[in-house]
Amino acid sequence: MDKMIYVDNLRKEFKKVIKEPGLKGSVKSLFSPKKEIITAVDGVSFDVDRGEILGFIGPNGAGKSTVIKMLTGILTPTSGMCRINGKIPQEDRKNYVREIGVVFGQRTQLWWDLALRETYAVLKEIYEVPDEQYHKRMAFLNEVLELDDFITSPVRTLSLGQRMRADIAASLLHSPKVLFLDEPTIGLDVVVKENIRGAIRQINEQEGTTVILTTHDLSDIELLCERIVMIDKGKKVFDGALSQLKHSYGQMRTFRFELLSPDDIALLDYRGRFKLSDDDCSTEVKKASVCVKFNSSLVSVEDMISYTLQTVHVKDIEIRDVEIEEIIKRLYKREVAV
Amino acid sequence: MTKLRHFFRIYLPFSRAGIQEMVAYRANFICFLIGEIVSAFIMFFVWKAVFASSSQQTFNGFTLEDMVVYVFITFLTGYLTYSDGAFAIGEEIVDGSIATRMIRPCSFDMCFLFHELGSRLISIAMIFVPIVAGVEIYRCVITGSVRFDIPHFLLYLLSLTVAYGISFYFNVCYGFMAFFFKNLWGTSLIKETLTSFLSGAIVPLAFLPAPLAAVLNFLPFASLSYTPVMIYMGMYSYAEIAYRIGLQLFWLLAMFLLSKLIWRCAVKRLSVQGG
Repeated sequence: MDKMIYVDNLRKEFKKVIKEPGLKGSVKSLFSPKKEIITAVDGVSFDVDRGEILGFIGPNGAGKSTVIKMLTGILTPTSGMCRINGKIPQEDRKNYVREIGVVFGQRTQLWWDLALRETYAVLKEIYEVPDEQYHKRMAFLNEVLELDDFITSPVRTLSLGQRMRADIAASLLHSPKVLFLDEPTIGLDVVVKENIRGAIRQINEQEGTTVILTTHDLSDIELLCERIVMIDKGKKVFDGALSQLKHSYGQMRTFRFELLSPDDIALLDYRGRFKLSDDDCSTEVKKASVCVKFNSSLVSVEDMISYTLQTVHVKDIEIRDVEIEEIIKRLYKREVAV
Repeated sequence: MTKLRHFFRIYLPFSRAGIQEMVAYRANFICFLIGEIVSAFIMFFVWKAVFASSSQQTFNGFTLEDMVVYVFITFLTGYLTYSDGAFAIGEEIVDGSIATRMIRPCSFDMCFLFHELGSRLISIAMIFVPIVAGVEIYRCVITGSVRFDIPHFLLYLLSLTVAYGISFYFNVCYGFMAFFFKNLWGTSLIKETLTSFLSGAIVPLAFLPAPLAAVLNFLPFASLSYTPVMIYMGMYSYAEIAYRIGLQLFWLLAMFLLSKLIWRCAVKRLSVQGG
């Protein structure tokens, strides 16, 4: 499989002026600013196959957006290199950006005062999309993203959900080879999210568009991506398939049960029985219902269940699959060593 | 030729967008225009008072009639060469929306240029003919003869166009300063005041002490307003006009190259604030 995106040891430093607090500090920083170098991205390398959807995740401030901005040619890396479809973004920006589509969930790239239809007409000219292809494309985007209801309204009057759909359509008008989506579902309701995910999947499947997706909504990742790259504090901490992540870090399992008599809870002592630390086993009790989280690499699910059933009378029991959210939460909090 | 057509195909939509935005915010533009016209009339009354309180008929070769033409043609020239690209660029750099401009396959300055031309097209059409006609009728009534001169008028249009180009790129350069300062509002007040003084928009350069006037005449600021206005008024010989327009073209090129240079340096330290 040929690679669409190569990222090699990418690094970005920012200079930041440190201001001391108060008026005195302001005056002081005016004359002799103290500068600090902040490394936003610290030697990140990965690659993406043609036609792949890559989930690019990490906690707030991890450097995701900075990487995306370097890949899209907006920022110049301090060192390292990225190459997309054989092109280096910073070298020939105008030609490079013809091949990519970009959506920044946080800001619109539509013209604020124009009717949406006009915006697309402007983009058609800029990207030199032939008439016939343009009409076909608009019909397709209309169908996938349901733009018809608001295509004549000025962009400033659109709701967030409409605007995001409009933005995604704008990024796809020229049939880009690579699509960069920086938090495309931020602040959207469930229905619109579903709609947008469907559109991304459809475009990826039908046109083989390579997609890089950053998001804080892990259902986006679970539904769209097979592979994820996770970064934290500017460094890559995980790169692999989603299933691998579950396998490697999914030791924490959860099961719930309902006690026949609530007082029985006193009889259960998982930590004592299996010699587990607080980190490896925790219980949550709400009246008769009990939720147990434990580290399955230390105790098997079977042992836990049989101990429970032998000790108390249980009305109902439920064993859950590994939750990706739980793993990532632990990774973000650095509870799991990588 | 096809290259040129292609160029316009890409950038004319920006002009169209500019026109549409202008229409969306027409009240804003009308208020701005009224403010500008009022300040032109204030200048007119000030000079009228100056001439009335003086025993001389002429000041440094300017009669009252010349002064009236000077005030209104300076106003017209100032209005037509006004470029607010700096503010737009500065704002985009500060709020980070410059990022969304950089993901388009367009040249940065051309997008701004065509957008600005589009957004000002209607106002130019609305103001140009009335002012020129008004000034000419005034001259005709006072002097009793038609003073309108087509070659000088055409040369004025040429000089005006170059002046707009200088103003545009000067403001682009200034707008890029936001890369370094992060906020332009304060310095822009200084810039506006200095420019209007140095370009002769407040006091004709001929009124200033000779050595100062000679220096200012050479600086790019004179090319912004004083040169086209002097050409319009027929104050320059054809040889002088050729030299002045040559100087204007030199400054246009200098500003253009400077803007490219700053952009190159600046883009490396771009830090897109917020998200």
